[in-house]
Amino acid sequence: MENADVFLGLHDFLERMRQPSAADFVKSIKSFIVSFSNNAPDPERDSAAVQSFLANMEAAFRAHPLWAGCSEEELDSAGEGLEKYVMTKLFTRVFASIPDDVKTDEQLSEKIALVQQFVRPENLDIKASFQNETSWLLAQKELQKINMYKAPRDKLVCILNCCKVINNLLLNASIALNENPPGADEFLPVLIYVTIKANPPQLHSNLLYIQRYRRQSRLVGEAAYFFTNMLSAESFISNIDAQALSMEESEFERNMESAQALLSGLSADMDGLSNQNDESEGQISVEQLIQSKHQGVNSTKEKEHLTPVRSSESKSVKKVTFAKDQEPITKVPSLSELENKGATMLLKEEKASQVFQEYPYLFAQVGDLTISDVEDLLNNYKQLVFKYVCLSKGLGSATSSLPSSVLPSQVQLQVETMKAPEEHKRVELNDESEKDTSETNDSSNQVLNSNEEKVESQLPEDEEKVERGGKNDETSK
Amino acid sequence: MGCSGSVPARSSGQSGGLNNLENAGSSDAKNLRVKLVLLGDSGVGKSCIVLRFVRGQFDPTSKVTVGASFLSQTIALQDSTTVKFEIWDTAGQERYAALAPLYYRGAAVAVVVYDITSPDSFNKAQYWVKELQKHGSPDIVMALVGNKADLHEKREVPAQDGIEYAEKNGMFFIETSAKTADNINQLFEEIAKRLPRPSPSS
Repeated sequence: MENADVFLGLHDFLERMRQPSAADFVKSIKSFIVSFSNNAPDPERDSAAVQSFLANMEAAFRAHPLWAGCSEEELDSAGEGLEKYVMTKLFTRVFASIPDDVKTDEQLSEKIALVQQFVRPENLDIKASFQNETSWLLAQKELQKINMYKAPRDKLVCILNCCKVINNLLLNASIALNENPPGADEFLPVLIYVTIKANPPQLHSNLLYIQRYRRQSRLVGEAAYFFTNMLSAESFISNIDAQALSMEESEFERNMESAQALLSGLSADMDGLSNQNDESEGQISVEQLIQSKHQGVNSTKEKEHLTPVRSSESKSVKKVTFAKDQEPITKVPSLSELENKGATMLLKEEKASQVFQEYPYLFAQVGDLTISDVEDLLNNYKQLVFKYVCLSKGLGSATSSLPSSVLPSQVQLQVETMKAPEEHKRVELNDESEKDTSETNDSSNQVLNSNEEKVESQLPEDEEKVERGGKNDETSK
Repeated sequence: MGCSGSVPARSSGQSGGLNNLENAGSSDAKNLRVKLVLLGDSGVGKSCIVLRFVRGQFDPTSKVTVGASFLSQTIALQDSTTVKFEIWDTAGQERYAALAPLYYRGAAVAVVVYDITSPDSFNKAQYWVKELQKHGSPDIVMALVGNKADLHEKREVPAQDGIEYAEKNGMFFIETSAKTADNINQLFEEIAKRLPRPSPSS
């Protein structure tokens, strides 16, 4: 309901901008945006400039005949529309545009990647009765969406939605346990925990961006409160030390070191793998494990989507190179040598494909797979591993550890990729249905674009995001 | 549309105000809007006080949808003015103490709560008062609240201690019970009376 209002408000705003009498507005907006690209980034000045421009424009709207007789809500929507439009245009220019901010983002993200390996809810004073890691995933997801949007309001809504999910979970838990309703004593620790687990991309820059460019008269009340909680979560996390987590100094150091070792070990493993495997596969695993530092969920998905095609195409070839790589390491007749031999024989064989007929998934494409194949695949995988381990044991090969460490990750990837397309499809479906609902709007906008100036020209592409940004919005007002 | 009814035309006439964040909204002489921050050890019942205040005055069955960490409530005073409290709860655990300035920045009111059965929480309350005197806004209205007054048989902090400390520091003092609702409304009404008024226009 509410998002529909905001959305209609944006359309209403665009509609009014099309009126001849709005020509001056269009001109000011255009020249404001252009004026920005002429100067080097300076957050203080830029923020002040945007805030005062938005304020002045809103005041001008209020006094203009175009909005004569309009309600406060309509004027408010116009202001929202303006903010969204201007900031979408200025985004690349003002978001994370200072090297210091970029650096802070990286440091924070690296720290979170370490801390998330060992932090426990108890370290943050989250009472056992309120612990619910599975449900917190929902809150994490909301936070991880933050880079899907450009407008300050939409980014803020991600934070508010995350807070709302946490609050609802806490509230339900308190009702179930017949405890006092949750206050900040319960809320903030969970928000911090969720933030650590989510490691949202460019957290520092996102918070600064909202703080600087969300119209300040709208960052009040409840939104201001929850935004402050997010700022305080960031502050807490960036200052995390042994004391903050009630750990012994030595224990904390140890945890940080082993987390570091784990992460670098992973990337080393993956580097090793990439010699034998498709490079992107290794990257994906690392990304999944470190929870993709700078990219949104989307880009990871896309890559997942790509790999299986490649890997299945190049399967037999890969086996050969794999085996060749092993040769210099092992001089005794080994599993890999046997493999090599076998592979050569296979290549010579005319009906090689028939050999693989008992492995139904070898030539499958991502799109062919469904959730119901998981069981089958898993069984296949178990058989394979079992056979492989037995074979290598039988050979007494010292190399068995390496290939078997390769195998699980390979298969894990397959399972992963098999699930991914399902998710992907669902996402696409959602997107489509959302597009459907906005289709009419889009097309009306298209008309607007075709006969309007360039100021409007990129709006339709934002439109979808605009709508999605507003979708779950209840807390923002 | 649905939600906006509860936000009565707040943005009117404040175009160009750049630093509204500091005041957390606009006020006029008749309708004040104030940011109130709650400080105190965890477990002293900060959020219960608020919940009692917010629920008690209207429909006791009204469902709190977002928990009790942020709530707002408007009260009408006898001089036909209204005060809308926006109540910011803070996490009271020791490890979060350093974050408090983010919350009390720009607050017009600070309510420092302790538990009359816990001398530790009274010490903590005094820490917050000092903290606010050092870093809070100079004209902040401060209240010292001894909660859980219903547990008199377990009392360990004499009322007199609270009274004296509050007096020394120019604070308003009251003992409350969120459980029985005792003195809850009085607390907020007293605060409302003590708020500095914008110079009346009429």
